[in-house]
Formats: sequence, C-alpha cells, structure tokens
Amino acid sequence: MKIEVLYPEICNLFGELMNPEYLARCSGAEVVRTSLKETPKFVSEDIALVYMGYTTERGQEAVRDAFCPYLDALRKRTEEGGVTLFTGNILEVFGEYIENDAKEKIPMLGLFPIHSDRHLMKRYNSLYLGKLGDITVAGFKSQFGHSYGDVGEGLFTTTRGPGLNPGVKPEGVRVNNLMATYLIGPLTVINPPFTRYLLKLMGVEDPVLAFEEAAMDAYNTRIEEFSDPKRGFTY
Amino acid sequence: MDKSSTYVKPRGFAAVRFFIALWASKLTVPLLKITRHNGTNFPGEVAMKLCPDFLKYVARPEKIITVTGTDGKTSVSNLLVDMLESAGHRVLNNRMGSNINSGIATSLLTGCTVFNRSRHDMAVLEVDERSSKRVYPYIHPDMTVITNLFRDSLMRNAHPEFIAGFLNESFPPDTRLILNADDLISSGVAPENPRVYFGIERMEGDVVACVNRLNDLRVCPKCYGELIFEYRRYHHIGRAHCCDCGFSSPEYDYAGCEVNTADMTMLVRDAGGEARYRLLSDSVFNIYNELTAIAVMRELGMSHGEIQKLTAGLKIVESRYKAEHVGNVDVIMQMSKDRNPLASSRAIDYVTHRPGDKELLLMMNNLSDEVDWSENVCWLYDCDFEFLADERVKHIICTGPRAKDYYLRLLLAGVPGDRVDCVRNEFDAADKLHLTPGTSVYMLYGADNRSLSMAFNVREKVMRLAREAAEK
Repeated sequence: MKIEVLYPEICNLFGELMNPEYLARCSGAEVVRTSLKETPKFVSEDIALVYMGYTTERGQEAVRDAFCPYLDALRKRTEEGGVTLFTGNILEVFGEYIENDAKEKIPMLGLFPIHSDRHLMKRYNSLYLGKLGDITVAGFKSQFGHSYGDVGEGLFTTTRGPGLNPGVKPEGVRVNNLMATYLIGPLTVINPPFTRYLLKLMGVEDPVLAFEEAAMDAYNTRIEEFSDPKRGFTY
Repeated sequence: MDKSSTYVKPRGFAAVRFFIALWASKLTVPLLKITRHNGTNFPGEVAMKLCPDFLKYVARPEKIITVTGTDGKTSVSNLLVDMLESAGHRVLNNRMGSNINSGIATSLLTGCTVFNRSRHDMAVLEVDERSSKRVYPYIHPDMTVITNLFRDSLMRNAHPEFIAGFLNESFPPDTRLILNADDLISSGVAPENPRVYFGIERMEGDVVACVNRLNDLRVCPKCYGELIFEYRRYHHIGRAHCCDCGFSSPEYDYAGCEVNTADMTMLVRDAGGEARYRLLSDSVFNIYNELTAIAVMRELGMSHGEIQKLTAGLKIVESRYKAEHVGNVDVIMQMSKDRNPLASSRAIDYVTHRPGDKELLLMMNNLSDEVDWSENVCWLYDCDFEFLADERVKHIICTGPRAKDYYLRLLLAGVPGDRVDCVRNEFDAADKLHLTPGTSVYMLYGADNRSLSMAFNVREKVMRLAREAAEK
C-alpha cells in the first residue's frame, strides 16, 4: 500500500506533513513523495491515498501549473473511487479562480464549482467543529479568504465555525472519495475517528491507530472544549 | 528620495491637532507610572488616535537604524544600543516598549521635547515585521537589519514568504539593508535596495541535510529546483546553490570565520580588514546576533579597533534562560516561545545538547489563548520534539491545558511512554518531578504574560521541592 504526497517541497506548512506520516504509521503504508518537476505516481501506479497540504500563495500557482497536465488523471481516479485528501488552501487551487485583493482574478484548475477570495491584509483564524456522518471532526482554520459556490453537502457539516465561507454550513468539497477541506495542520492526528474512516476507505481492514489511546484522549478533550458555547471560535 | 521629507513639520490645523496629540500622549506617560500600569503602547495609541499622522510629524533623531526579522531582533537592537551609547551617542530606542507602530510612536514621543525637538542623535528601533507597512511610510531608516525570516505564529504571520512580501513593499528605496547571506529567504528581500551581507563561514557541527522538521526552504526560491547546501547550520540557514538555475547564496561582505567556542573568539573579515572578537555567547544564534551588530557598526564607519573596545564590556542578556542550583539539582528556566516552532525547536535542541541527565517540565502553553479560545496546536508538528527522544532526557512531564496534545506529540516523536507523565494542573505536575541528584530540571515555558506568571510561580514550588528533597 502506498500513500503519495504531492509537492511536499512547497506544500508543507503548519505541520501538515505529519498527516501522511501518521496514516503510514497506522497502516504500514509506504510514503512516496512527488516533486513539482515529476509526474505524479498515481497516474501510473496503484496509490491508496493521494495527499497534498497547505502551501504559500505563490505555491498555489506553482501547484496549479505543475498539476494541470494531470487533472484528467485525477478525474479518472475520482470516478473510480480513488481516495484523495487535500488540506488548507489547496482546496482553492482546484476551484475556478482566486480573486486577489479584489483586483485580479487568478485562474485555477476548475475541478470544483467554487471560486475564492484572498485578502492578504486580513488573516482569518478560527476553530472548527463539524460532522462527517456520525463522526465529529475538530480542527483549525487559518486563511486569507473563503470560497463560494454550490458544493452540495461539502465534506463536513458545520456545527460551529465557518463552513466553506462564514455564511454556509457545508465545509470543504467532496466528490466520491476526493476530499478537500480548509482545515489545516495535523488533521488526521487530532481526529482519530476521521482517520479510522479514511484508513477504511484506503482499504485498511479494522484499522488500529498509532498511540490510539493518547490520540483519543486528546481528541475527546478537544471536542469537549470546542463544544463549550462559552469558548470563542474566531481569533 | 530626500530622507528629511519623511519628517514633516505640521502646519495649520495639522499642527494644532499634532501638538494636542503630542501633549496629551506625553501626559499619559506619568499617569501610567502613577497608576502602576505597564502600557508601553498606550501613549502611542493615544497620539495616533488624536492625530492619525502622528508618526509623520513627530521629531526623530538624524540617524535611524531599524532591526526586524523573526528571531534575534531584540538581542541585536540591545547590542547596538549598548555599543552606540558607549561610543557617546544619545540613542533613542524601544527597548522597554513594544515594536509595533504604537510602541514606536511611544518611543518617539517620549524622546522629544514638548516643542517637538528630538533629544537624541540616533535611533535604534526594533520593528515587528507585520507592522512594517504601518511604520516605514513614516519612519525612514538609514539602515535596516533583517536578522532572518522563519515560520512564526501561523495565525499572525502565515509563512515567511508572506512576510518577505510584506517587507518588499515596505522599505523606502534608499534604505541600506544589512542582510543575512546565510538565509536565502530574507537575503532576497527588496532586491532594488542598496545592501550588504553578513554570514558565518563553515563551522564545526555544520551539516548538509536538514535534521529539523521545520525547513522553510526545501527548493530554490526562484525556480523550485534542487537546492544543494555546502553547509547548513540549522533549518534553512546555511550556504546553498540551485542545481537548475544557478541561484546561490550571496557573498559575505562581513564574514564571521574561525569561530572558536572553546576560546570564545571569532574572526570578522571584511573589505577593510579583519579583527578577532570575543564571543559574547556560545550559542550559534547569538554568534549571528553579535556578527550582525558588528556589521552595522562597520557600516556606520567605525574601525574594528573601536568596535572591539565597545564589545569588551558587552553582555547578551539571557532573559530567556535562568539557572540556579537548588538542593541536589539545577533548576533551569528556558523560555520556549509557544506557537513558534522555530524558537521552541532551538530551545529543545539547546536543552538536549546540554551535558548530563535532564528532567523536563513541558509547559509551553499559550495560557492567554486558552482564556477565550483554544490554542492552535498545528505548530507542535513543525517543532523538533524528536530531539527529546535522547536517552539523557530521563523524564518529561507535560502540563497545562494542552498537556494531552504534548503527550501525544512526544509519543509520535519516539519518546518512550514510560518516560512521560501527563498532568493537567501545573502545580500538581511539579509533584511528579523525580529530582534525582545531579539532574538538571528544565522548565520550558510559553512567552505570553499569563504563561510567564504561571512559570515563575511553578518555579517557586519546584525550588521548594528540590530543597526538601535534598534535606531528606
């Protein structure tokens, strides 16, 4: 079993490289890395999970340019049920465009029916609490803008915090097993139930998480904190 | 651009408004003292509220040096102020205040007379990177130092490329930049500005591959090609070139060489000659800070001989490190700035490399965040907790609101579970210390005011327990 990390040389902010590392430790999968100047391995190999994490604003354009030739391959993978996870602002790269400081529209890959705004003088920070079916997900957001468009139910249904933008409940985008979320950081480490779900999608039967007891203990504490109505949600 | 054009004498209504702001804000300074409030931003905030262009009109010294960057700006600023004052200058600084625009306004208004005349002939101002756009349109520095750029608080500073972009758009075009050639991120800032570079030649202990989780420059910043490091000090600091486009680290105008931490000396070489300097600290970060200050003094026209004399009595204030032998153990306070993976990684690296067995109280929580919010813990996974898997680290206690997050992080870092305890309450955590004779007990604590206060209170308990253990 292989996990492919796309463009880790630039998609590595906020501790996100721990996601594939943790999933590998929970599944015994091999982590393979693909740089901007290489062809993604999922195009020609059996890859259990394709992962890409948060990057810089300039990095978003580099990802767009590097990934563009493989968009159809991703479409095919998604139609066939292949599992893919994008975190942070990579979600925006697969939208139609990013409007930069209300001045210019930067075209993106157009896989998702969304567009995003970006305001470099306004960093938006928040906590997040949501649901994926009966799984509760907690996380963090830190971004320069939001996305807009019809994403159906999205990836998560928001309980507290902003969805794809502060005005909507759906958070992220989901197409079959392609999942994209604005949540940042070590999402899989801090959300053991979601990680178990992801591992099952990847084909791991009866997954056992690395340091599951400690992970669940930290998770339960966080869910309790985030569910406390007295706790502020935007920073 | 004429430098004097940024210091504008107000006229008409602007003058009335400015002087009301100046006098009112000056009045707040003694009021704060009388009421025992520590509001280093407050007078500046009052001034800018009453006169939004206050920074444009307030008097300033003839010569201005600003210091910015992720790490080391306070140390470099302090060294410069101390040396310049020893050289006979009257130096305005924000050493006691904040480094954002209102803090700088406070420093300037306290440094001028009621008739708006500066009492100083020089200013050394530490400027927060994120405040650049609010400071540099008004404060036109002759020289600006950028110590380095790293990943900092993700919520405020996003990432170093964002901060570099911020600085690119901020500096006046004729400000001379003093840049770290060993940092390929900050050395590329504002490429049109006049500049000189400092850096340290190969040192003992340098590596080639990155051993840190945090690496802000994994590929060429120009073409995303492969970067080859000739030597690397830590993270992305070192000397490198790109295999694909030929981009490389700039040559040193001020080179630190023959760094010798045994006899505590470093040779500094530049176009005007070379001289051997006494090292003020053996930590690499502080060697960079000292070299930076020497480069600035050379740029101000001082000879090596003059600077050597000025550095003779200098000390780097280790406000973030406090050690005391109590009973049978050493109790060491090591500030480990929360939410900042670089500062915490450096602190952990430093602690791990100290001789002897250690016991750690890990309390780098941001307690202020926990009051209204919940600390964003993403940074824990950019921080080098892996170093704590060292066998000389005998026992670690995770404590504070994020104790369980630290516990999980340590397990993932390879620290054996039987060496780690997890105790929510900080004072109860102290009871778990083994205090084995001969051990160094390190307390790693966060930098916000609540965390500082908590850390020093817990320290009192640790000291008491250490004394009691020795008496048994």
